[in-house]
Amino acid sequence: MKLTPSVLELNLTEVENRIRRFIKEYVENAGADGIVLGLSGGIDSGTVAALSSLSLGGDRVIGLMLPEKETYNSKDIDDAKFVAEKFGLKTQICDITPVLESFYKAIPIFDPADRLCKGNVKARTRMIYLYYYANKLNKIVCGSSDKSETMMGYFTKWGDAAADISPLMDLYKTQVRKLAVHLGFPAELAAKPSTPALWPDQLAETELGMKYETLDLILYGLERFMTPEEIAQQLRIKKTLVEKVKSRWLAIEHKRRMPLTPKIEYRTAGTDFRLPRHTY
Amino acid sequence: MKRKIKLALAQISSRRENKKENLRKIEEFTKKAKEAAADLVIFPELSLTGYVVHDQIYELAETIPGPSTQRIEELAKKTGMHIIFGMPELSKKAEATIFNTAVFVGPKGIIGKYRKMYLPTHSVFEEKRYFRPGYQTAAFNTPLGNIGLCICYDLFFPEVCRLTRLKGAELIISISASPAIRRSYFEILTAARALENTAFLAFVNLVGVEDGLQFWGGSRLISPTGDVLAKAKYDEEDFVTCEVDYSDIRPAETFIPTLRDLRPELFDELKRHSEMF
Repeated sequence: MKLTPSVLELNLTEVENRIRRFIKEYVENAGADGIVLGLSGGIDSGTVAALSSLSLGGDRVIGLMLPEKETYNSKDIDDAKFVAEKFGLKTQICDITPVLESFYKAIPIFDPADRLCKGNVKARTRMIYLYYYANKLNKIVCGSSDKSETMMGYFTKWGDAAADISPLMDLYKTQVRKLAVHLGFPAELAAKPSTPALWPDQLAETELGMKYETLDLILYGLERFMTPEEIAQQLRIKKTLVEKVKSRWLAIEHKRRMPLTPKIEYRTAGTDFRLPRHTY
Repeated sequence: MKRKIKLALAQISSRRENKKENLRKIEEFTKKAKEAAADLVIFPELSLTGYVVHDQIYELAETIPGPSTQRIEELAKKTGMHIIFGMPELSKKAEATIFNTAVFVGPKGIIGKYRKMYLPTHSVFEEKRYFRPGYQTAAFNTPLGNIGLCICYDLFFPEVCRLTRLKGAELIISISASPAIRRSYFEILTAARALENTAFLAFVNLVGVEDGLQFWGGSRLISPTGDVLAKAKYDEEDFVTCEVDYSDIRPAETFIPTLRDLRPELFDELKRHSEMF
């Protein structure tokens, strides 16, 4: 298999239709009134917002903008508003700073210097807002995780990945960007550097150690059972870099699954208790 | 035996675990087929229960005959229609041994059944976890001609359709629950199985989304020379009628004489090598 950027090309019209059908069918079967989603100003959440509006009509979709003072960026708010206006969804801005500060004060072992633990509080607080709106307004929470982040574990457990559905989770980041352009996003917004906004100036590509264009091809190769040697050779990169991605890819399966429990009884949730997901 | 018959391809979505609702839909589409003067109406694989039901299959499976086939028999009798549909079949001799079965019912009762021989257990499929495979191909002599049955993944194995054809089937029915990611394979395979056997092939696929799995529809009738004679929409429920004219088989067989050119000695070799593979 040739590992070139062309392997990531998709029939974007078909992908759009498939995702729109998926969203519509899920919301209808759930008997929900629509969707609530976090609108960060990034391309993943913008794309999910666009697809949700196109599937259900914008009046059934609420995008929550949940800024906080440490990572506040007016460009993100502008970009989120642009998406909301373009695709006709409703929005609400909630500054989560007071809630975060209460948490920081209330947690006995809180360590302000540990930016990861602190950042995760932000992601989980956003989750609480989303689920409050969903419960209160009979909507479902639509997540915006993409496949690159999901496979790398680049998300907060029970935080930004917490959702009822995640329509982009089978698309790598570079594919999401192409889908966004296909949906009418300006190229500049589609190419906007990704950030989880857990602390100031945090950039995904810096933390992941490579460009998404390279990462996505490594992940694509691993998905198709290619060896690190083959991938490194084809992409003309160091084998150790691919191995590093693979180790992480394997190590964080716990973030993608139900909590593990020892097998004791006849059928066990998360392992051999297999029931259809009913949404109706 | 009729030399020309009219088929109705009932490309439905099933309500998972809701046999009552699915039987109602089967009844509705059968009446529609009757109104369209069709002789035979065909429903997708596991259309009685939906495809993604996991452990609930143990609660849903029924024997044949059983309550659901009785309902279909009554429907066939009342409408004078022939009906093919898919259901999980519970063995009469065991408590939890289930087959993925296509049932063929006519106005006079059950004509026969086919138990899926090739059970996909890879990627998103977990059929071997739940089903026992069938061991026999099926071709039935009926007033509508000799009709053979197969189910979905069987199409990847040419021997199923070939055996069906050698048993006399001139129309092969493939009921299916094929997800969208596999569409291109089935578009090739349906044409190939018809052409290599110089037989008509009717493919009826499920639609709808079950646990994120989207079934693509695209049901069709293929001629004995591999042409698409009728085709249902992709991805949404549809109802298409089409005609099978058995007199098309003779010119196809003379032009592409695959049955005349069969080499039985290769089958012995095939058996030997597949055992050693």
